[in-house]
Formats: sequence, structure tokens, C-alpha cells
Amino acid sequence: MTSNGQNPSDQEILDRIGWSQIRANERKLQRKNFWVAFAFMLPAILLVSSLLLAPVAFNVYLSFTKWAKFKGIDQFAGIANYVRLGTNPFFADALYNTSIWVVASIVFPLAIGLALAVFLRGVPFENLFKNIIFIPRILAPTAVGVLWFYVYAPDGVVNRFLGFVTGGDVDIGWLYQENTVTPAIIATFVWQSVGLVMVLILLGLSAIPRDPIEAARIDGASSGQVFRHIVLPLLLPTLLVVTILSVLAGFTVFDLLWVMGASYPGQRTLSLAVFMYFEAFQKGSWAFGSAIAVIIGIVVFSVTWIQAVLQHRVDRMMR
Amino acid sequence: MSNTMDGIDFAAIVDKERASKQRNWLALTAAVIISAVWVVPFYYLAISIFKTTEEYSLNHPLSLPSGLAPVVENAVTAWTHAKMGAGLWNSALYGFLGAGIAVFIAALAAYGLSRIDFKRKNLWFMLIFSGTIFPLQMYLIPLFFFYQKVGILNTHFGMVLFYSAICIPFPVLVLRNYMNGIPRDMDEAARMDGASEFTIFRRIVLPNCWGPITATFLLQFTWIWNDLLFSTVLANRAEVRSIMNALQVFQGSYSSTGPNVVLTAAVIASAPSIMMFMLLRKHFMEGMRVSGS
Amino acid sequence: MKLKSLITATVTACLVTAGSLSASADDVELVHDKGFWSEALQKVGDSAGEKTGNKIIESAYSAPEQYKAFIQSSVASGDMPDMFTWWTGGIFAELVETGAIAELDGIWEELIASGDFDPSVRDFYKVGDHIYGVPLHLSRWIALYNKKQFEEAGISEPKTWDELMAAADKLKAAGFTPFHATTQDGWRGFIWFQEIMLRTDPEAYKGLHDGTVAYDSDAVRNAFKIWSDWYAKGYFSDPRSNEEAADFARGKGAIYLIGDWAIGLVEAAGMKADEEFGAFIMPNQDPALPSSVIIEGGPIVLSKAALDKPDVVNALKYFVSVDGANAWAAASGNALGNKNATPPNSVVAKVNADVDANGTLAFDRWWEAVPADIQGEAVAEFNRFMLDPTMETAESVMSNIQALNAEYWANR
Repeated sequence: MTSNGQNPSDQEILDRIGWSQIRANERKLQRKNFWVAFAFMLPAILLVSSLLLAPVAFNVYLSFTKWAKFKGIDQFAGIANYVRLGTNPFFADALYNTSIWVVASIVFPLAIGLALAVFLRGVPFENLFKNIIFIPRILAPTAVGVLWFYVYAPDGVVNRFLGFVTGGDVDIGWLYQENTVTPAIIATFVWQSVGLVMVLILLGLSAIPRDPIEAARIDGASSGQVFRHIVLPLLLPTLLVVTILSVLAGFTVFDLLWVMGASYPGQRTLSLAVFMYFEAFQKGSWAFGSAIAVIIGIVVFSVTWIQAVLQHRVDRMMR
Repeated sequence: MSNTMDGIDFAAIVDKERASKQRNWLALTAAVIISAVWVVPFYYLAISIFKTTEEYSLNHPLSLPSGLAPVVENAVTAWTHAKMGAGLWNSALYGFLGAGIAVFIAALAAYGLSRIDFKRKNLWFMLIFSGTIFPLQMYLIPLFFFYQKVGILNTHFGMVLFYSAICIPFPVLVLRNYMNGIPRDMDEAARMDGASEFTIFRRIVLPNCWGPITATFLLQFTWIWNDLLFSTVLANRAEVRSIMNALQVFQGSYSSTGPNVVLTAAVIASAPSIMMFMLLRKHFMEGMRVSGS
Repeated sequence: MKLKSLITATVTACLVTAGSLSASADDVELVHDKGFWSEALQKVGDSAGEKTGNKIIESAYSAPEQYKAFIQSSVASGDMPDMFTWWTGGIFAELVETGAIAELDGIWEELIASGDFDPSVRDFYKVGDHIYGVPLHLSRWIALYNKKQFEEAGISEPKTWDELMAAADKLKAAGFTPFHATTQDGWRGFIWFQEIMLRTDPEAYKGLHDGTVAYDSDAVRNAFKIWSDWYAKGYFSDPRSNEEAADFARGKGAIYLIGDWAIGLVEAAGMKADEEFGAFIMPNQDPALPSSVIIEGGPIVLSKAALDKPDVVNALKYFVSVDGANAWAAASGNALGNKNATPPNSVVAKVNADVDANGTLAFDRWWEAVPADIQGEAVAEFNRFMLDPTMETAESVMSNIQALNAEYWANR
């Protein structure tokens, strides 16, 4: 498709090579191609739009209606359901605990995962230790929740250990008290998820080129300096991905709260997800429940949006 | 595809230097103490399933069981009371069919999105991928009523249908990226010879994609196997409920069974996914890798 | 080709499993949410098949809230199960008001004419002018007690409030924990509240349920004071147990207040009824008040359409017949109020005799009588009190429940 530099008029050239014909053909081909591709995409589009997108749209619609429990008749109710959120005694607590989860699931998995990844390098039997820390990841959250429910029991392992350390009888109802229930479940969440975080960080570390590190070493940089000024910036993209994965996992956690929170009287306030389940399925406040689901959606979108912005910045920085 | 990780063997790590022997000993001690946080709960789990309810309630939770025999009775009790046989069968059905159908449909869509030229590809990709950006809570209420209305609430079909749908978007992302990287000369040659698009998909592209297909299949299978929320809402009857639902209910509603039995049930419910992981570790790790980047 | 066979397998598997859910034509499905009774219900169902040709197939929902949601949505969509279990009280009235539930007046006429049932049982399932349910079980809420511990403490069944208090003191002095109560499964918090309310102020107890008595009124405060005081004296066992029945059998509490359906659970935990534990009806604080007991009567109801299906009606009638009641009693230890049936165990027989002797009055259980909309939140508040049984917590529990309660009645 190179032009050979002579000077007939543009139109002449176009006519000579049958440009309009080519364009028409190309358009036809594009159209044909589109329908072929569409046929390939059709099953996916059908399933996704009917079972995922349509429900989301209906959920939003539902949140603006008033539903009679057994009849399901809906009247338009405006923002009444959202106003009710403001007066509901449990919503504020649920929102508060949800934000604790967001913060905790950013800080702890990342900090502990990074620390473990860095610390375990070079330790004898390092693969054994990494495997051990990774194992819980294979288990279902429901099974992990069941296990830790008993580990936290008043006469369970945690209290026995604390009793052994302090030399007295420790009788803390970890999963029964307001001040301990959320931290306890977050600890279990971190216990389960930090293995994957560690593995992903190790993958990111392995992708870092050795040359700048060695150059810095030769120049006399301490390992702390190398880590801070060379490794950490290069690791930033990995850390970002890991953060997003764990914050979304932490934010949408349900199974652990459902299983481990069962004994806590304020279970419905443990997170917005649990609160929504209680309102919709236990009380039959369907429209109100869907309003909570919309709020959850808004929070997820803000987190995703922040992620996109950060991702963009990091991408630019790396270039 | 270069596989940097053989199992959980993360060999290619930047700094391979071993520090001095003394530091090693200190580090080893610290590592043992840290890993105790992971080992002790598993040790507790492992010994508890060998205890009778009486033994469990009387002794220290970390004391060794007096024998191995009680595990049989624990397993039988859990199996019959929690109807675990049905639960395992249902979850296997949901997992294999749901993930299988989803990945196949995703491969089809990924082919259309990567190997055929047409305008506004990104728009169509976003349409399919948008199925994964909403929180799960937004699906629950509408699906529950829709399923009841159509008459597929509490059916195997309904569950497979839903899992097939929710497991499509992520494999589409992975497979599209992967297929974009496969050279196109073979397609073109086949097209010249008059092969249909489906033949090209089946004979040329698909055989090149088994790696990521297996990896995404395993990821989605695990997701379905572990799911508690949707199986609680859409299939709550004992005949169709999933193994995780059975486990959760078993923990809650049996006042006469002790922790030893419930923990045995947890082990039974986890065993299949652990075995699968052990057998297919390489593919699992590949899946973790694609999900992290 | 692997994929082709996968698709074929998918389609066949879906068809096969879809087909396997439908049962034979004469079989009648009983949908319920009492998974712990699945095996026992199926035994009754099998005996129904043998005796009447209409086998009952039980089908359990796993979670009560999912079950309620399922029935709600099936009423809304008009595609209901023929025969299913429900609860009495406000939630029963709600269900009946939809017009989707069959009137069972005719069946009850037969049941009373045959002498199987007392009319008082019928009234339990009355909404407005008609009857809409038969009992799945009819349980009295009684105090089970550990006979060995009673003997060692030198006490017998307390007949008056003072004797109850004395018994608690003596049990405590003998090194036992007098009362057994837990928050297991999240719904048990109301048990001692309802009992103390009923024993101290039965009128106020009734008033709580129609909105005339507030949850922060003096009657309620008084009940909480007694409750909190008993906790302060160390009368209660650890509320955090997850093995309530088993812990009673292990002797962790001497007096276990519970529905008589729990007798089977205690026996399963290794304690012998009559030999090792007995039962009594809790005494009133004011001896002048008439003897009374709380009754729980989970109903079985039919959809309107099911009343025209002879198979379903047959199955329902069998369930409450003498044969059905005996099969049910043998399988689960539950009674359902059929006078001609054999009591499920000697403990229930003894309580039956006590009730007959004292003319004991029946009261609705708090769980059913409280408006369904505030039930879950209120019981969680009671649980919160049990975990931190101070008067300070009690005050906040009372005001929280009252806020919900006031909002509910204001919107009626």
C-alpha cells in the first residue's frame, strides 16, 4: 500500500484502484464479520443480559417502589426506601462496619502479605512455610468460618492460648461481643486470604529486573534503601492489583459473616451485605432490601473508580 | 507459555542470596512461630474429627484423641443428618456443568471478540464484562422472584443456568486476551481453504487455548463449589441444596451434635476441592496468576 | 469431540434431574423448614402411604427466612405448594389474609365429632371466623429438670414462686447452676423473658402483643429486673453454649425451660426421660393467678387449590389421625393434641395430667404473638441482654425494642 510518488490527481488514483468498490466491499465484509462475531457472542450476551444485567436494572427499579409482602404489588414510592435508610437504627452500624472492612482489607492483607513475602525469602524451608500459609486459600470460606467459629469459642483454642500466656482463665466471647466480633472475623479473613496476596507479591518481586538492584548495591545502598527506592516503586502495580482484589473480596464478604456472625445478636449490622439479606429475606422488606443493594453497588463503584484512577496514575508513572 | 511457578515453588525470586547461618536460625525460629498461626487451627481440626462428642467437651481442645475410631461415627452422623451425599452431588453437578458451560460460552465469545474484525469491539466486550462489576447483592432479590415466577426456583436447571451466566465474564476477559496473542496466519490459511468460522474456532484456536481454559474452568468451578449465597437463596430445599449450604445449616440447627461432628462435616465438604487442588496444582496456580494480573 | 459430549451430557443431565424431582401421582408433598425433623416426618409419610395409599413426601427448606420468602413469593406468583407448615400468630393472620389458604372448618368438625380433638385446639388456628390449619405439633413450654441434681440439693418440683426461688438458692448452694438458657441459633432469647412476664403480669404479657403495653413500661422493666437479678446471683448457665440440649444432659443447668419437643433432643443427648429428668409447669409469682402455660402449635396449612385434591386432604387427615399422631410421636417425640393418641413419652403424659388437674390456661408463645416485622430484631435484643445481663443493657434493649414496636403499631 505504498504510493509511488507520481502526481496524478487523487481522484484518478482512487478510481484506478476501484476505491469505492473496495470500500463497499470492506463495509460488506465488516457487516458480515459483525454478524459472524455476533453469533459467537450471542450465548454470552443472552445469558449475561438476562440473568445478570436485567436483574440489576430490576433491582434499581424495585428500590423505588413499595412492595406488599405476600402480594408483590408494587407502587411507585420515590425515594422513600432511601429515606428509610436514614431512620433505620441498624443501617448506620452496618455502614460503619462495612467501612471498617474496606479499610482493614486494604491494610492487613497487604501489609502482612508483603512482610511475609519479604521475610520468608531465604529462610530455610521457605517453600514449606509458604505452602502452609497458602493452604487456607484452597478451603471454602464456609468451611473456614465453621472452623474458626469453634476456634473462637469461649473454651476454644484462642482463649486457652491467652489463658496459657497470661496464666489465668480467659473467657472472652469473641464472636458474641460488639467490640470483638468484627476484628475477630477480619482476622479470619486475613488468615485465609493473605496466602494468595503473598504469592502474588512474590510473583511481582520475581518480575523485577536485577540490574538496578545490583547497581545500587555496588554503589553502597543498604538493603532498606534498595527496598524503598527500587523494589517498592517497581512493585507498585502488583500491590495495586492485590489491593483491589482483596478490598473487593473483603468488601463483599458474606459467607464468613453469615457463619461466624450467627451467634452475635447484632449480626445484621456486621455489614451492608448481611443487613440487606436480613431485611429482604428475613423481614420480607423487598423494596427496602433492594435499596440497600443499590447502596452496596454505589460503594463498589466508588472503590472501582478509585482503582481506575490509581491504575492510570501508576501506568503513567511506570512509563 | 512460560510457567514461572511449578506448583507453589516460587523459585525465580529476585534475591537468592542466603544470609549468614546465625541469621538463618533466628529467621527459622520466627518463621516457625508465625506459621503456628496457620498450623494450630489445622491441627485442632485434624484432631477434633477423631474425638467423640463426650471426649471433645471434656478435654482441652488441643489434646490428642484417645483413638481414631470415632471419626467413622462422626462422618456417618454428619453424612446422614446434613444429607451430605446429596449436597456433594449437587455441588459437583453445579460446578462441572456451570463452569463447563460458562467457559465454553466464554471461549465462543472471546473468539468473536478477538479473531474477527468488526467495529466497536470494546463496546460489546464491555457489555459482557459488565456482568461482573455489580455486587452480588444486586442480583439476589430480582433473581429470586424471577426464578419463582418461571418455576425454576429450587431446581438443578435453575442453578446451572445462573452459575453458567455469572461465570462467563471473567473467562471472556482472560480468553480474549489470550486469543489476541495467538498468531493469525493459521486462521487466514484455513479461511482461504473455505473452512467455516466454527471449524477454525474448534480446530485451530481452541486446541491452542487449553491452558487458560483449564485454569479459568478451575477458578470458576471453585467459585461455584464455595458459593453459599446463591445456593442459599435460589436452591434452599434439601434435595437441591449445595454442599456449602448443607454445611452451614448443619452447624446452625443441630443442637444435639457436637463441634467434633460439625468439623467432620466441614472436612468432608472441603475434601473434594482440596483433592482437586492437589491434583491440578499447576493449573490452579496459573489461574491465580491470570486473576492477579 | 470433548466439547460436544460435554454439551450432550449437560442437556441430558438437566433433563434427568428436572424429571427426577416430580413424584408419583398419589404422593403428597409436605413442604416445611424443620430440617431436623426430616427423617421423623418421612416416617409418618411412609406410614401414611401404607395406611391410606397417599404417601407424604417431606421436602425441607434449609433456612426459616428462606422458607418464609419462598412461601411469600409463591403466594405472590400464585404457584403454591399444596401442603406446607407455617407459624401461628400474626404471621398466620398475614398469610390467611392473602386469601390463598384453604378453610379447614369441615375437617375440624369431623376431628371434634370423632372425639380426637378438643375445640380449644381448633381455636388455635382460627383467623376471623374460620379455621385454617391443623397442628403439626402442639408443644407446651415447660421446665425440664435434672432429677439427680434436685435430689442432691434436697428439693422437689416447685409449686409456688417462693419454692422456685428457694429451689434456685439450694441448687446454687449445692454447687449446681439452677437455670439453663442459651442464645443458640439466635432465636432463644425470648424464652425466659416470656416466662417471667407471664408469671409476673399475664395481662401485660398479652398487652405486649396488641400494642397496648410498651416494651419500656414498668411491667417489662420489672421482668428485666428479676431476670438481671437472677443473672447477678449466678443462677444462669453460660448463654454462649451451642449445644443447649447436650449441655442440659451434661448437668450444666438444672432447670431447662423449653418446648416439650426438646425432650427428644435431651434423650438423644443421653439423658433418660422420667428417670433422669422430669418436667413441671412454672409457678406464678402471685399464687392467686390461675395456672397457665405457654403453647406452641405450628400448623400445617393447605393452599386453596389443594382442598379440591382428595389425595392431599387424605394425607392431611391421616397426619392428625390417631395412627398419624402415634407414628409422629414414635418418630419424633412430638404430640399434636390428639386426645386418643398415645402421649409420646411419660414426661408429656405427666404434664398432660398436671394440666388436666389444674385447669391450666394456654397462652400464645411470644415468638408467634409478636408482630412478625419486629420479631427478628427484638429477639436479637433479648439475646444481647443475655450476653450482658445488666440493667443498663436492659434499658437500652427495652428502648430499642419499643422503638421498633412503636413504629410498627403507628404504621398499622
